[in-house]
Amino acid sequence: ITAMDSNHQSNYKLNKTEKKFLRKQIKARHTLLRHEGIETVSYATQSLVVANGGLGNGVSRNQLLPVLETCGPVDALLMPPNKPYSFVSYKTAEESKKAYVTLNGKEIVDDLGQKIILYFNFVEKAQWKELGLQALPPGLMVVEEIISSEDEKMLLESINWTEDTGNQNVQKSLKHRRVKHFGYEFHYENNNVDRGKPLPGGLPDICDSILEKWLKEGHIKHKPDQLTVNQYEPGHGELHDIFDSSLCFCLSFKVVMDFKHPDGITVPVMLPRRSLLVMTGESRYLWTHGITPRKFDTVQASKGHKSGIITSDVGDLTLSKRGIRTSFTFRKVRQTPCNCSYPLVCDSQMKATPPSFPESKREASQLEQEYVHRVYEEIAGHFSSTRHTPWPHVVEFLKALPRGSLVADVGCGNGKYLGINKELYMIGCDRSQSLVDICRERHFQAFVCDALAVPIRGGACDACVSIAVIHHFATAERRVAALQELVRLLRPGGKALVYVWAMEQEYNKKKSKYLRENRMSQGKEEEGSSDTPGPELLVEQVPDTGHKEPACQMPSISDFQEGGRNSREVTNSKLPVHTNRTSFHSQDVLVPWHLKGNPGKDKPAEPFGPGGSHDPSPVFHRFYHVFREGELEAACQTLSNVRVLRSYYDQGNWCVILEK
Amino acid sequence: MKLLTHNLLSSHVRGVGPRGFPLRLQATEVRINPVEFNPDFVARMIPKVEWAGLLEAADTLHLVEVPKEPIEGYEHDEKFLRKMHHVLLEVDVLEGTLQCPESGRLFPISRGIPNMLLSDEETET
Repeated sequence: ITAMDSNHQSNYKLNKTEKKFLRKQIKARHTLLRHEGIETVSYATQSLVVANGGLGNGVSRNQLLPVLETCGPVDALLMPPNKPYSFVSYKTAEESKKAYVTLNGKEIVDDLGQKIILYFNFVEKAQWKELGLQALPPGLMVVEEIISSEDEKMLLESINWTEDTGNQNVQKSLKHRRVKHFGYEFHYENNNVDRGKPLPGGLPDICDSILEKWLKEGHIKHKPDQLTVNQYEPGHGELHDIFDSSLCFCLSFKVVMDFKHPDGITVPVMLPRRSLLVMTGESRYLWTHGITPRKFDTVQASKGHKSGIITSDVGDLTLSKRGIRTSFTFRKVRQTPCNCSYPLVCDSQMKATPPSFPESKREASQLEQEYVHRVYEEIAGHFSSTRHTPWPHVVEFLKALPRGSLVADVGCGNGKYLGINKELYMIGCDRSQSLVDICRERHFQAFVCDALAVPIRGGACDACVSIAVIHHFATAERRVAALQELVRLLRPGGKALVYVWAMEQEYNKKKSKYLRENRMSQGKEEEGSSDTPGPELLVEQVPDTGHKEPACQMPSISDFQEGGRNSREVTNSKLPVHTNRTSFHSQDVLVPWHLKGNPGKDKPAEPFGPGGSHDPSPVFHRFYHVFREGELEAACQTLSNVRVLRSYYDQGNWCVILEK
Repeated sequence: MKLLTHNLLSSHVRGVGPRGFPLRLQATEVRINPVEFNPDFVARMIPKVEWAGLLEAADTLHLVEVPKEPIEGYEHDEKFLRKMHHVLLEVDVLEGTLQCPESGRLFPISRGIPNMLLSDEETET
C-alpha cells in the first residue's frame, strides 16, 4: 500500500510531489533495512517505524507522542538512543493504518526549530533488541553531590575569566569554549604537561580545601597538582585523550559522557550537576571518553537527574537540553616514568614519536621488531585461534607436490599448513617463538629464525611456501631479500608459493572476505571508509538546512598516530593506522589487532556477554606493506634465477608461484 | 628436532657459507617418538640426506648401526629402510645445542625447538 492509493484506482497517475514523496518513503525503507536491519512490511500491522522521528535526530518524546496520539491511544513508543527513528504501536491495526495514511509526510518541528518530515512504514513488531546489561567501564565511579551548592557557587566564582595577559594560570579563549590552567599548563596538541615548568600560584585556595576534603573522605588517593577548567557553550563538547584525567567533575549542568572501548562499544554515562567522576585503571587507560558536541543528551525520562548508565529501555528515554557547562579536570603530574600495564597504549612507554616510514635498514629492522615481532609474541595465542582455516589454493599447491618432497614453510605461524599433506616432509620456521611453540604442540617440525636468514642449506628444498609473510618487511630491499632467501632454499626446478596482502581489497568488482566480514561491533566511528557522519536523517529534509550534527568525535589511538592520508608525499612521514575491514588508503600501514582475553572463546557478535562483563582488551599495531597489482611479480622478476609460473589474486592477496 | 630436520639445518652466520654444515649436535635430552613406517616415504628421503652430516649426528647421540651409506637397491630393502626410518624420523632431540662448525656460534634447542635467531650484527652484510 502507499499513502496515496487507499481509495484510488490502480491506474492513478501520481503527480510530481507524490512521486517524490514515494521515492523518499522507499528510500527510508531501504535505509532501515540495509543499515539497521529493520524489515518493513507492506501490509498493515499494529506497529510502525517512524523514520526521522528519533532521539538521534533531535526529536523528543514529548514532541512526537502528541502527534501520534491524534490517530489513537499509543500502546508503546520506543525511541532507541542515537537513532533517527522510533517505533510506535497502536492497540489496533485500524489506528496504525490511520497513522500511516494521515501522518506520512507530516512535517513537525524539533526543539531547535528545525523542520522535520516523518516517514511511516509498517513493521511486524515494534521492538528493540536489548544489548544486555551494560556495566560501567571498569575502574569508573560517579559520586553524586560531591560538593554543596554553596561550594559550587564559590568554585565557579573563583575562576577569573577576564584576560590577564602575560600572567600565570594560562588562559585561552577558544571558539565556544574557555580554558584555564592551574599548576601546570596542559598541552592538548601532544597531551602532555611540561613537568619542568610549573605555573606559579598553584591551584586556587578553594580547590585546595575541597581536594583536602576528598582526600580525607577517601574519594581520591593522591592530591592532584594540576587543574584545567573548561567552560562550554551548549552544542560543544570536549575531546579528551586517554591519558589525562583521573578526576573530573561537572558543575552548572548535567551532561552525558560517552566512554568508548577500542572494540567500538560505547557506554553513555550520565553525570549530574555537582558530581565527581573518578577514572582509574581500565576506564582511564583503555577507554577513551568524550562529550559529544550535541545540543541535547538522551537521558531517562523517569530517572530525572540521577547519575549512572543511560538505560537501554527505549521506552523511557527523552532529550535534555544542555546549558553552559563548566568542568574542572584535576590531574596529578607523574614525576617518575610511567610503568602502567598498558605499554602499547602508553605514551611514555611507546617510542617518543609515533612510527614513521623507515629510512634505513636499521630503522626498518627496528620498526619490524616493534610492530611485527613484539606484537606476534604478545598475540600469538589469540592470533593462532583465528588462523585455523587453510586457504584452498595453498592446500592445492601442497597437495600437488610429489610424494616425499622436502618443503619449507617460511613464516609458518601456528603451523596451519605443516600437516596438510602427510606425504611431504615439511619444516616450518617463524620469527615468533610463541608461534613456533604452538607448532611444536601440534607435533610439527619447526624452529625459530628470521626469514632474511633461513638456516637451511641451499638447494635442499623441493618446494617452499611463504604465506602472508613478506608484507611485514618494511623496505622494498628487505622484501626482495626475503624472496631471494626462499629461492636459495630451492633445488633447481623447485617451486615456491608466495602470498602477500593486496592493497586492492576489491577486485573484479568483488569484495574480499576481509571487507565483507564487517561486523557491527567493529568500530565504525573510527576514521571510517564511509563519509556519513553519525546520527543523521534517514531521508533528506525539505529544505536541507545543512545542519548536521558531527559524528561522535572520539580521539582514539588512531587519531593520535595518524599523520594524515597523504603520508607518502612527505619524507619521514608518519605511518597511518588502518581501520580494519575497510579498503587500504596507503601501502605502508599499521593494522590494529584487538587482543581478546580468552583465545578459546568465539568472537562475540554482541559487544557484551550475558554477565554484563566485558574483557577490555589492548590494541596492538602491526606493520604491513600491502602490495599493488603486479608488484610481487615485479619483485620476483628482479631475481636472476627464477621464472614466474603463475600470478593470481586470491581473497585479498596477490599470489605468485615461481620456479628456480 | 628430528635428525632429518637437523640434516637440513646449516649455520647462517655471516661469511660461513657451506662451511656451516653440519651443525654440531649436542643433546641433553632425547626421546624416541614412534612414527608409522612408510617405506615409500623413507625411500624418497634417502637421496636427499647429506650422509656425512647424518653419521656425525647419529654418532654424538650414540645411535648404533647406522649404515655408512645407502646400499644398492635400498628402495626395496625393508631392513635398511626401517633402520633409516628410525634414525631420521623417530629420534627426537628435545634439549641440547647446535654449534656452527666454522664460527663456534651456539644455537639452543629447547622443548624440541632450535632457536636459530642471529643478532643484527651477526647477519650484517
